[in-house]
Amino acid sequence: MRKFLVILILAVLGFYLFEAFSGLGLGFPRFEHGVKDYYLDKTVSELHVANTVTSIVVSFRGFDTLGEVTVLFLAVSALGSVLYKRRHDVGSRSILFASSGIVRSGSKLLFPAIILLGVYIFIHGHLTPGGGFQGGAIIATGFLLMLLAYENFRVSHHVLSYVESLAGIIFVVIGLLGFIDGGTFLQNFLPSGILNELFSGGVIGIIYVMVGFKVAAELTGLIYSVLHEKD
Amino acid sequence: MIYLILIFFLLILMVGAAIYAVVQKDLLYAVIATGVISLVLTVLFYILQAPDVALTEAAIGVALTTIIFLITIRNTLRHEDEYSNKDKFKSPTK
Amino acid sequence: MSIFEIIGAVFLLIGSIFLFLGGLGIFRMPDVYNRLQAGTKATTLGGMSLILGVGFLMVETNWAWMVKAIIIVIFIAFSNPISSHALARAMYKRKRYPIITSKDENMDAYREVNENEKKEEDA
Repeated sequence: MRKFLVILILAVLGFYLFEAFSGLGLGFPRFEHGVKDYYLDKTVSELHVANTVTSIVVSFRGFDTLGEVTVLFLAVSALGSVLYKRRHDVGSRSILFASSGIVRSGSKLLFPAIILLGVYIFIHGHLTPGGGFQGGAIIATGFLLMLLAYENFRVSHHVLSYVESLAGIIFVVIGLLGFIDGGTFLQNFLPSGILNELFSGGVIGIIYVMVGFKVAAELTGLIYSVLHEKD
Repeated sequence: MIYLILIFFLLILMVGAAIYAVVQKDLLYAVIATGVISLVLTVLFYILQAPDVALTEAAIGVALTTIIFLITIRNTLRHEDEYSNKDKFKSPTK
Repeated sequence: MSIFEIIGAVFLLIGSIFLFLGGLGIFRMPDVYNRLQAGTKATTLGGMSLILGVGFLMVETNWAWMVKAIIIVIFIAFSNPISSHALARAMYKRKRYPIITSKDENMDAYREVNENEKKEEDA
């Protein structure tokens, strides 16, 4: 009976999957007269953004980016709630060895450089490849280096959660301001500036900086809660 | 032509690393193999002119995912066979 | 062909030779420490030479390449030896000792300290 049910469900699923994929026309250019030319044209002429990928991710598909950031937030908070234990649970072995002096002083020298690289990447998100997600992940690796080198290195969960929620709130507020100004969510309401300059592209730069802060805080909190389950 | 050969070589390396990660019973080696997959994928993305995705893959795929898996292995058990024996498996917090 | 291009080509050649020797050493060396020695020293010097060479090749078109190359070289000079040191130390703490062919007993004097440290931690 059960096997029959499984086969039935698989058959129904397979039928609908086949129906869905048979209409796709794989291997043919589907966007020949679609949105591709519109994006490539408007990116430079209206938004004054040098990086087309950034303009699509943040401006044309900005609402999807908000959803992505929310999904990441949900994943991290779910992991934190799974790993949460009470503070006075004692008796666990520490998972970290004491690292040597060379590693300690070396990572102290490298940590600011890594943070600077991450900040550079998300500030220049609309000019060069990269952006909020990439820069945030690089900053998180910098914190990971410090957490592995110094077993007493502590990151305040309060600061992380404040930074993260503040960045998310600013993202949504910018979107709503665009709603008031232009009639659509995340509409650009700042002057566009000159192409290829740091202060160009209107709200895109601000949104990417906020995404960078949010992703960095989330990933750092994730690593921290995996490494130090106790607090 | 040289790009085609390079891409072909990298793809073979990726498939080999993926098969190794599935077959290998020692989970530490399997995690390192998944890291290798991400590393090769980074190079491939860069060759295919997607530096944005390459940066993401380098930071998240190579560094963060591998480290999180390594910490998990450190907290639980290293070999796949040990999980079948339930009595051996003890929570590290005990 | 200007003088900078010749310097850059020489640097590229030196870098390739070092990287080749590093790859050869990883295959030929007997234990972990020798392989780390071959791999890290060769990739540090080889990578630094390659990046400097690229900087020299491009220095006439755009001097910003050279600045970026020097920054990357400094970063490699910091990070690569440190990671190698951490790997070697982790192997030693796991009691995978180097192969010693010499008769001298003081060749690996740290081994005794390492064993005692482990015992103290266990006790």
